[in-house]
Amino acid sequence: MELEEIKKLADLARIDMSEEEMLEIAKDFKSILAYVDQIKEVSKNGNLQSISNDKNNYFIRNVGRDDIVTNKGGEFTQDILADAPDTKDGFLKVKQIL
Amino acid sequence: MDINLDNLTIQKAHDHLESGDFKVSDLVNEYLKVIKEKNPKINAFLEIFDDINKQVKIAERMFENGEATILTGIPFAIKDNILIKGHIASASSKILANHRAVYDSFVIEKLKKHGVIFLGRTNMDEFAMGSSTETSGFGVTRNPFDLERVPGGSSGGSAAAVASNMALVSIGTETCGSIRQPSSFCGLVGIKPTYGAVSRSGIIAMGSSLDQVGAMAKHLEDVEIVFKAINGYDSKDSTSISEELRKGVVKSPLKKKIGVPKEFLTAGGIDERVLKNFNENCEKLKKAGYELVDVSLPSIKYSLAVYYIIMPAEVSSNLARFDGIRYGASDKEADNLFEVYSKTRGKNFGKEARRRILLGTYILSHGYYDAYYNTAVKVRKMIKDELLKMYENVDAFITPTVPFLPFKLGERLNDPVSMYLCDIFSAPANLADLCSISIPSGKTEEGLPFGLQITAPFLREDMLFSISKDFENNI
Repeated sequence: MELEEIKKLADLARIDMSEEEMLEIAKDFKSILAYVDQIKEVSKNGNLQSISNDKNNYFIRNVGRDDIVTNKGGEFTQDILADAPDTKDGFLKVKQIL
Repeated sequence: MDINLDNLTIQKAHDHLESGDFKVSDLVNEYLKVIKEKNPKINAFLEIFDDINKQVKIAERMFENGEATILTGIPFAIKDNILIKGHIASASSKILANHRAVYDSFVIEKLKKHGVIFLGRTNMDEFAMGSSTETSGFGVTRNPFDLERVPGGSSGGSAAAVASNMALVSIGTETCGSIRQPSSFCGLVGIKPTYGAVSRSGIIAMGSSLDQVGAMAKHLEDVEIVFKAINGYDSKDSTSISEELRKGVVKSPLKKKIGVPKEFLTAGGIDERVLKNFNENCEKLKKAGYELVDVSLPSIKYSLAVYYIIMPAEVSSNLARFDGIRYGASDKEADNLFEVYSKTRGKNFGKEARRRILLGTYILSHGYYDAYYNTAVKVRKMIKDELLKMYENVDAFITPTVPFLPFKLGERLNDPVSMYLCDIFSAPANLADLCSISIPSGKTEEGLPFGLQITAPFLREDMLFSISKDFENNI
């Protein structure tokens, strides 16, 4: 895999990393992809045609709830904001977006 | 009275607490003594909680009021990716180093009702990504049987804590082998319940179609007690199996037939000593009245490859939430919002986490998605179908838990594929939603533990326990 491609992935994944590490990752990818590529044998044999692409787990379903407020306003605000890196007036503070 | 931690079980501890031979505080202090002595070297615990006295008081009051259950006052070690309200849960990552949980996970909520004692949080591979606890952002954990060797991973801290008498039992999590493999490396019993059996609400996610929570202990009966306490439906986890479906599982009696996937055993470059021990284990099961049947599972050899596609794909999505905005670390030198994300993630994720996020991003990217992810999902289904068919004829199938013995620190860290091969026998259970257990099966001459892995059908943990008991009675 080319360095450019790793750079693009790092950018997509929002991970700042050195070129040195990218080269190392390119090397690791080579051996990892060589290993996982064995699943392509299965597709070559045509064995996958009959396998449906539906969900693997028949027991999984979406769990919904009514869109109603079940807690007092601000009940958890302090607890949650206590964990945030930067806050102002009960809101999360972020860098300028526009 | 003197408390002998070596042979203590939950039942024995409970009987002594009930009869007043010792109090919860005495029991906890015994463990704290061992922690003080051994933890600086082994590094199983990242933190000993400062509210233990409060927990002890609650447990002692339960005994006084006749409200105690078998788990009341039992000292637990909790993996660092399990949320306990008010305590730090970091998944052993620098990005969550100061992250304090604002609610209890489902398992913790259940255990709190029993009045168990949470001694502290245990070290793990960062975000549970690893098989040796060496990728932790907070130092390695050492194997109590040989301090130069790894305890396995990712629940290595939980395993080492119990194996060295720093806790009676522990809670771990598994995406692919992270309970069973360290249990094997530390001479413990460890269970990976059926996918959906134990709720993951409040567990820091890694691979959501694979993650499960389980228990580790020295004794089979203890694992069974803890499993029963944490097992159950939870509306907060959409993969949690409904009570209705649980009741619908027909608990057919044992056929006393066990499958041995012979071709699969040599797929990962198995250590000769492990293979020899496995063959001896087969003989023991025969003596216990089981018929061993060769089973052919043509697709099972692809399990690990399938896992190393599906898991990184899920990792790259799950770890997208750590962005330096809502919780955890945030880089202060960033000039703009994009840099807040990229610098926070670049500096605070460890090497293995970065590698897997990038791998997942690649696998899910346009042009590769079909060749990797979609193919892997289909092969996963093939593996599952083959296993389900196999279960028509056998109760369970067995393999060694790990193809190798506990290895030296650093031995596999720089060669990802050789590290990944630790999980080769673990993968089928996680991919096919099965339940699986690792039980100790002897030691090498130098004292390194072997493990036997038994894997049973969907929601048939009862079979794992019966077969394991029959095996243990024949050692």
